[in-house]
Amino acid sequence: MSYEMFDAKKLLGDTVYEVAKERNDIVLLSTDSAPRSGFTTFIEKMPEAYYELGIMEQAAIGVGAGMAVAGKVPVWCGPAPFCTARPFEFFKVDLGYMHQNMKVIGRNCGFNYADLGPTHYGLEDYGLVRMIPDVVILAPQDASELKGAIKAMLDYVGPVYLRLSTAKLPKIFEEKPFEIGKGNLIEDGEDVTILTTGEITVNTLAAVELLKAKGVSVRVVGLPTISPIDTDIIVESAKKTGRLVTVEEHFTVGGLGTIVEEITAENCPVKVKKIGVPFTYISAGPYDDMIQYCGLDPESICNSVMEFLK
Amino acid sequence: MNVNEVKKLALDIRIEALNMMSKHGFGHVGGSLSIADAIAVLYGEQMKYDPQNPKWEARDYLVLSKGHCGPALYSALAIKGFFPREELLTINEIGTRLPSHADKNLTPGIDMTTGSLGQGVSCALGMALALKIQGKDNMVYSIIGDGEAQEGQVWETLLIAPNKGVKNFIVMLDNNKQQLDDFVEKISPLGDVRKKAEDFGWHAVTVDGHDVEAINAAIEECKASDKPGFINLETVKGKGWPAKEGVNGNHALRGPAFEGVEEVLENMRKELAAMN
Ligand SMILES: Cc1ncc(C[n+]2csc(CCOP(=O)(O)OP(=O)(O)O)c2C)c(N)n1
Ligand SMILES: [Mg+2]
Repeated sequence: MSYEMFDAKKLLGDTVYEVAKERNDIVLLSTDSAPRSGFTTFIEKMPEAYYELGIMEQAAIGVGAGMAVAGKVPVWCGPAPFCTARPFEFFKVDLGYMHQNMKVIGRNCGFNYADLGPTHYGLEDYGLVRMIPDVVILAPQDASELKGAIKAMLDYVGPVYLRLSTAKLPKIFEEKPFEIGKGNLIEDGEDVTILTTGEITVNTLAAVELLKAKGVSVRVVGLPTISPIDTDIIVESAKKTGRLVTVEEHFTVGGLGTIVEEITAENCPVKVKKIGVPFTYISAGPYDDMIQYCGLDPESICNSVMEFLK
Repeated sequence: MNVNEVKKLALDIRIEALNMMSKHGFGHVGGSLSIADAIAVLYGEQMKYDPQNPKWEARDYLVLSKGHCGPALYSALAIKGFFPREELLTINEIGTRLPSHADKNLTPGIDMTTGSLGQGVSCALGMALALKIQGKDNMVYSIIGDGEAQEGQVWETLLIAPNKGVKNFIVMLDNNKQQLDDFVEKISPLGDVRKKAEDFGWHAVTVDGHDVEAINAAIEECKASDKPGFINLETVKGKGWPAKEGVNGNHALRGPAFEGVEEVLENMRKELAAMN
């Protein structure tokens, strides 16, 4: 399948700018990270709304929470581990507990920072943030969803974490308003449901084509909101196809795999095959090699599903 | 100190680091070049180590808190025989012992994993403290960046060390005036950082960070003091690659940004040969 491709960071920065210029409350915070997050237009056009703090992620959340109390809507973007794991307690208290209207965007998620190694991967970002009640977590799957998710995020009043991984983002779906908390039935089928989230969805869909060629009838559900998760569509899928597969560029432990198991265990126990990053440390290396190592390339996803259905 | 030998080592580090990063097509060039002279003084003169036995008990320790400059450190380690020079070219290949950022689990001669700014220097303090309370005199050095010094954790460490009476500890600030997006002055200036460290209770000195004799003298002075040492190295980001010195965009280079590197390397190799 060939898709129109977009620069994910530019799309992010430009979409935030489009919304911000029509409002007077959005401010952009940076921790030595904004121009590289695609915000060059924002910085150029709205310099008065741009605050470069320096490399200080803990303070960034504190400053953002304070600005939110005093009437602003801070948007902050940086490498995923540095805006989730590093200031986690402040995420919990300043943003979660006080329900502050700040938007945090973790970029270069998954193995996107292939050359920078384990300190820079975002393999536990939404797993961590999910432990903070009432924080909305978005993991858009393509360019259209990213645009929609950013607008929904800025409309929503309260803390939001949005995850973004690759530099090049395909447009897979038609643009439509993004509904926070809602999963999408991408394709219906009988034998198995594949639940997928974030930008690895492009590989999932390629795997689905391979499975169909082998005569497997696949139901495919996209989950661009990780929290609050769409419980209904997961339970419905479990009832319909009996077997579920999850696909994510994140640890399956604490990730979508775990979330789906929690839900099915309580509502409709079925077998779940979790495809994603194994719970270990993976050293630096080329992105494609790491994706293959984790079984996240289309062929490997297809093979895992075939094995699961045996 | 054999000044010529240490200068040669500094140049050799620059050559190997630039070579490995450009061949791989990615790397933190600016900060690796600015810290080459200080690393040369450490590995060429000051530190005790045994390449055959990287875990030698009597060794001194270096924690590269600005872990993104791994290539500069790997080059020094390879030149000094911790592993073959050819291995430098495996940077970031699958299964490599040399990822971009310093990694304790992978690389012989590295005692602390770094990459998250601010973290390494506090770990280095812990090492110095543990050695001190065991009555050992091993030295612990840690190199931080000026952008990195915006992290609160750096200042927490600066506060603790003198209060715990740690003397076997020297923090070196690679004050190259630049961070990732821009000049430090434009983002969040550090002000008179030497004075700040002194006020926190450190023996703090400022030196030209590209003058190996001055760096060596500063280390000697800090070691003679009864306080932890803080050396503010006045440096130029990208030092040694004229087109990249002190200009925005020299932090990390990728692909086409390495254009011109062959000529720079050739000049450096000639210069090195002339020093023999
Ligand atoms: C906690 C953390 N935040 C952000 C980064 C991303 N980052 C890597 S290097 C860098 C700039 C560092 O500047 P400086 O310390 O001055 O290093 P140097 O100029 O010596 O390269 C940034 C922001 C990081 N590695 N860790
Ligand atoms: Mg610097």
